[in-house]
Amino acid sequence: MSNSEKSKSLHLLGSSHHIADLAVREKISLPQDKIDEFYNGLSALPGLDECLLLNTCNRTEIYGASNNGFSSDLLHKYLSDFRKIDPDFLHKHSYRHSGEKVVRHLFEVTAGIDSQMVGETEILGQVKKAYEDACERNVSGKMLNRLFQKGFQAAKWARTNTGISKGQINLGNVLCEVARRIFGKVSNSRLLVIGAGEVAESAMEAFKSRGSQAITVTSRTFDWCPLSRRKPDELAEKFGGFALSFSKYQESLHHFDVILTSTASGRSLISEIEVRKAMKHRPAKPLFLIDASVPRNIDESVAKVDNVFLYNMDDVSAIANENLKSRIAEVERCRNVLSKKAVRIWEQMTHHAMPSSSASQSTASNS
Amino acid sequence: MSFNEARDVLWIASILYLFAVGFGFASTYFSKNNFCKQATLLAIIIGFFLQTRGLYLRGLEISGCPLGNNFERIQFITWSLIVTFLILRLLWKLNLLGSLCSGMAGFFGIISLINARWDHKYWIETSYQRLFSDPWIELHASIAIFSYGIFALLAIVSAMYLIQRKSLLSKKSGIWGTFLPPIHDLDHSAFRLLLVGTLFLSLSIIVGGMHWIQHPEYVTSFKLFITLLLWAGYSILFFLRYSNRLFGSKFAKTAITLFVVAIVSMGFVNSKSRNENLPITSFQPQDE
Repeated sequence: MSNSEKSKSLHLLGSSHHIADLAVREKISLPQDKIDEFYNGLSALPGLDECLLLNTCNRTEIYGASNNGFSSDLLHKYLSDFRKIDPDFLHKHSYRHSGEKVVRHLFEVTAGIDSQMVGETEILGQVKKAYEDACERNVSGKMLNRLFQKGFQAAKWARTNTGISKGQINLGNVLCEVARRIFGKVSNSRLLVIGAGEVAESAMEAFKSRGSQAITVTSRTFDWCPLSRRKPDELAEKFGGFALSFSKYQESLHHFDVILTSTASGRSLISEIEVRKAMKHRPAKPLFLIDASVPRNIDESVAKVDNVFLYNMDDVSAIANENLKSRIAEVERCRNVLSKKAVRIWEQMTHHAMPSSSASQSTASNS
Repeated sequence: MSFNEARDVLWIASILYLFAVGFGFASTYFSKNNFCKQATLLAIIIGFFLQTRGLYLRGLEISGCPLGNNFERIQFITWSLIVTFLILRLLWKLNLLGSLCSGMAGFFGIISLINARWDHKYWIETSYQRLFSDPWIELHASIAIFSYGIFALLAIVSAMYLIQRKSLLSKKSGIWGTFLPPIHDLDHSAFRLLLVGTLFLSLSIIVGGMHWIQHPEYVTSFKLFITLLLWAGYSILFFLRYSNRLFGSKFAKTAITLFVVAIVSMGFVNSKSRNENLPITSFQPQDE
């Protein structure tokens, strides 16, 4: 190890869904109102020049950079003291990295391959927010700045050049993807939601986010949707749609391209006869039906009608899982490349002269 | 290998079309790969120009439109397929259509080049009558073959429709299902192609009919029957689709079946070529 390598290093102490279940993560995670206090104590740790806290529902990680022989034991002690948890308990449910491994870990986090839902993009936004927060507090310096900038670049590379983000895994997005394969632009397709469970809301959200202007909601009990605890007209308003009287939806089926049922009625709400009748009004135009109810609300025989595509929740979940599998298959390839990139970046970081702590903080504040 | 030899040039064109397939699939799978995307179109365009040159050289050789044997007809149909694709590409884009068109053009191009029996030198035979010396019949033949190119494209779009539909019904998001265009777009494209193809075929029959009135001896009744049957088939298909009586998978299957019938019947509709089974091994006239 060269002198320069000895004189500077990166440290990481963290706990994530890989090593801690939800109850444990709740104990380790930092409440929002304690972040200021945590940072004050963290930045005052002797020998720690730079620090950054990444605190999400799935992970709590402390990144640090030091110029001398700083030990990550200090981080461990500080966190256990701050959260008033047994050091052994924290030791059991946390991981520590230093040097190049920190770079590699951050690359995997930002790329989404360390996430619970492999390839999800939300984590990148959370890391960026954590980095901005650290910069505002003047606790991130040249070394962490460089590390995180490279982390963002690595994330971009991974999403562009590997299949880790391919295929939708959120149920609403999966429905939109199937609708896209049938109708092309989702924004042009008209959605009818019968009932309003979680899947229905997720679907409405996904359709709305893709520019759909024609979302209609109806419910058996028009005043109250038991699954979502919302009134249909409230839901319609939330997503800029319309509320339809439950007595009228059957005669209006042909007006819609996508129909989703999500009720707890336990009986058939759409029969083959009704669908055949609706298809007479739109013979060449496909109809996409999603039955998100258990027991089912749409007769299975509806699938026999030409140009009708009937999916139930098992089908949608199977697609989501299939997409997830294909993402996981890409993870190893992505991990290998990110690992090589991490080695290169670490070599660059350790072979450059380190500025003083104050200079680092000044750089961070200017960035 | 010479750029002045029709078959050599057509070989290169076919290989380029096959390269375009590879680039096309690569650009679809690696959606951000701009190089593959551009390389696909470039390979198709260069292949198209080379194929045009190959057909032009053959045309010079026979002093007319090169439609005298199966090899020439296949080359002309695949040329029409590519030219239709390139024109339609300006109007609307369908993912993977270019790859599948160039795949079909490359595959059938190579099959026609490998099979020497399909490329007999009918123009050096003493019994050969220069039918295409009449510009009307030449126009008729070229429009008819061009409509075949459009119907080939219709068959490809219909096949894409069936694959996407099957993928949707199987409720899996396989590679094909993810990358093929939506069935709604495919259905619309198929209808428009059918309309254009039927119009061109009708036009070719009108032009051919004008020639037939003057020279009925050139056209056998069998050819007349097959041609009108095909025209009637596509026209009926168009009206059934237009009136929404035939649509979706049944429409797609019918369009593919009609194209197969069109290709199979192609050998029967040329009444003037003779001794088509004489093989050739090179371009040097064998009989001289």
